[in-house]
Amino acid sequence: MTFSFILNGEDVLVKARSADRLVDLLRERFGLLGPLADCRHGACGKCLILLDGRLAPSCMLPAFKVRGREVITLEGFSQTDEYADIKGGFEEAGLELCGFCDNGRILAVAALLERNARPSRDEILGELSAVPCRCADPETLTQAVAAAAERRARRLYHRARQ
Amino acid sequence: MLVSEVHQPRDLSELLSLMRRLPGATLYAGGTELLREQASRYVTLPPELVSIASLLELRQVSLTERFVELGACLTLTEVLELKESALPELLALALRGVATAPIRNLATIGGNLATRSRFMDVWPALACLDALVELRDGSGARWINLNRLADDDGRPAFPAGVLLSRIRIPLERWDAVALRKVGRCGYPSRDSAVFALAARAEKGILAEFRLAFAGERALRLRDVESRILGRRLPLSAKERSAFAVEYREAATVLSPELALRFGTLVDGALDLLSR
Ligand SMILES: Cc1cc2nc3c(=O)[nH]c(=O)nc-3n(C[C@H](O)[C@H](O)[C@H](O)COP(=O)(O)OP(=O)(O)OC[C@H]3O[C@@H](n4cnc5c(N)ncnc54)[C@H](O)[C@@H]3O)c2cc1C
Ligand code: FES
Ligand code: FES
Repeated sequence: MTFSFILNGEDVLVKARSADRLVDLLRERFGLLGPLADCRHGACGKCLILLDGRLAPSCMLPAFKVRGREVITLEGFSQTDEYADIKGGFEEAGLELCGFCDNGRILAVAALLERNARPSRDEILGELSAVPCRCADPETLTQAVAAAAERRARRLYHRARQ
Repeated sequence: MLVSEVHQPRDLSELLSLMRRLPGATLYAGGTELLREQASRYVTLPPELVSIASLLELRQVSLTERFVELGACLTLTEVLELKESALPELLALALRGVATAPIRNLATIGGNLATRSRFMDVWPALACLDALVELRDGSGARWINLNRLADDDGRPAFPAGVLLSRIRIPLERWDAVALRKVGRCGYPSRDSAVFALAARAEKGILAEFRLAFAGERALRLRDVESRILGRRLPLSAKERSAFAVEYREAATVLSPELALRFGTLVDGALDLLSR
C-alpha cells in the first residue's frame, strides 16, 4: 500500500506493507532514530511518538493505522520551545541518565504538560510509568518534571504579555 | 500470515455490508490486544482485517439523566476525559488501571469488552453496573446485558461475526464502589482477575449490592446478591463471613488461589460497607 501522512510537519508518501510497524518505517525509511524498537509489544515506551497530538507506541501501529494522520517524533519535537523547557528542567534537576529512554521520557513529559500544566507527583509518576527506566529515581524525576513545568509556565506567561 | 489488504470502511453501513460479505473478517479497533504478544519484526495479522477505529458512528457519546451511551471505538483515554457526571466512578477506576497512557490512547472500550480469550479489566466494572451492549450483525441490532456475554460456565462468549457498536451505562448513585486487580499486572494468567463492587444504602438498609469478578471466567452471584439486599447495616461478623464463604466456594471454579483472595475481598468489602 502507498499512503501519505504528516511527519514532523511535512506531508510524506510511503510505500509499505500493512504489517510494517511505524517504528521501523520511521527508522529505516525516514532515518529518524529517536524512536527505538526495543520490546516491540507496547511495554517499554522507547518507541513513543505523538500521533495526532497523543502519545502512542509506534511499535503497536501497523502502517495502515497511520494513513492521513499526523506523527511527531522526538526529532520534530526537538525543534520546539516545549522541548527546550523539558531539557532545561531536566538539567536544572540534575537528572543524569544513560539516555536509552530519552525519546519516550521527553515525549511523555511533553504530552503530560500539554494536558496538565502543573502535574502532581502521582500524575508525573503515573504518566512516566509508560517508560520504565533503570537510571531515573522517582524523586529526581518528579523534580525534573516540576522544573520543566515551571519553565514552560514562565515562557507562556512572558509570551502572553508580549 | 502478513496481510496484503486491510478494509477501511467509511461509515457504519459500509462496515456492516463488509461484515456480511466477509463473515470471517477480524475487526481491528485499537489493535493493542491483537498485537499484545507479538514482538517479531512484522506484525502477524489475520488474512481479512477491517479497521473500525475511526468510524464516527462508533465514536459518539450521548448523555441523558439516566444513562450514558458510549461508542465502542472511543479510546480508554477519551472515556476517561468525559466530564465527571458522565463517567461512573467504578468505570474510571477500571480504565485508570489498564496498561499505560500510550496504550490507553490507542485501546478502545469496545475492544476491551469484545476480547474473547479472557475478560479484560473493564468487563467486571461494567458487568457490575449492569451495562447494556448494542450488538449488530446481518440480522440487525439488539441490546443485551453485558453479563450475557459470558456463557453458563462463565467463559467469554462474545459471538463471532458481530460488531459491538455502543455501550449503555446506567447512571446511578452509589455509596461505595471498589475495584481491585488481583494477580500479576500486565501478565494475565489463571490467577489474575479483577474484582468490582458497587453498593448503595437507603435508611440504613442495603438497597443495592453488586459484585462481579472476572479473569479467565466471570462470576456474578445474583442469588447471593438478592439475599444480601434488604439487610440492615452494619452486617454482623457472622453474616459477613457467611456471605464471604459462599463467594469463596463459588470462586473455586476460577482457581483455588483466586477463590481465597475473592473470599477475603468480599469479607473486607462487606466490613467496609458496615462501617
Ligand atoms: C502492554 C499492554 C498492556 C496491557 N494491559 C492491559 C491491562 O492492564 N488491562 C486490560 O484490560 N487490557 C490490557 N491490555 C490489552 C488491551 O490494551 C485492552 O484490552 C484494550 O482495551 C483492547 O482494545 P483494542 O481496541 O486495542 O482491541 P483490539 O486489539 O483492536 O481488539 C481486541 C479484540 O476485540 C475485537 N473487537 C475490537 N473491537 C470490536 C468491536 N467494536 N466489536 C466487535 N469486536 C471487536 C477484535 O476483533 C479482537 O478480537 C494491554 C495491552 C498491552 C499491549
Ligand atoms: S518498542 Fe514500542 S513500547 Fe517497546
Ligand atoms: S535512561 Fe538509562 S535505562 Fe532509562
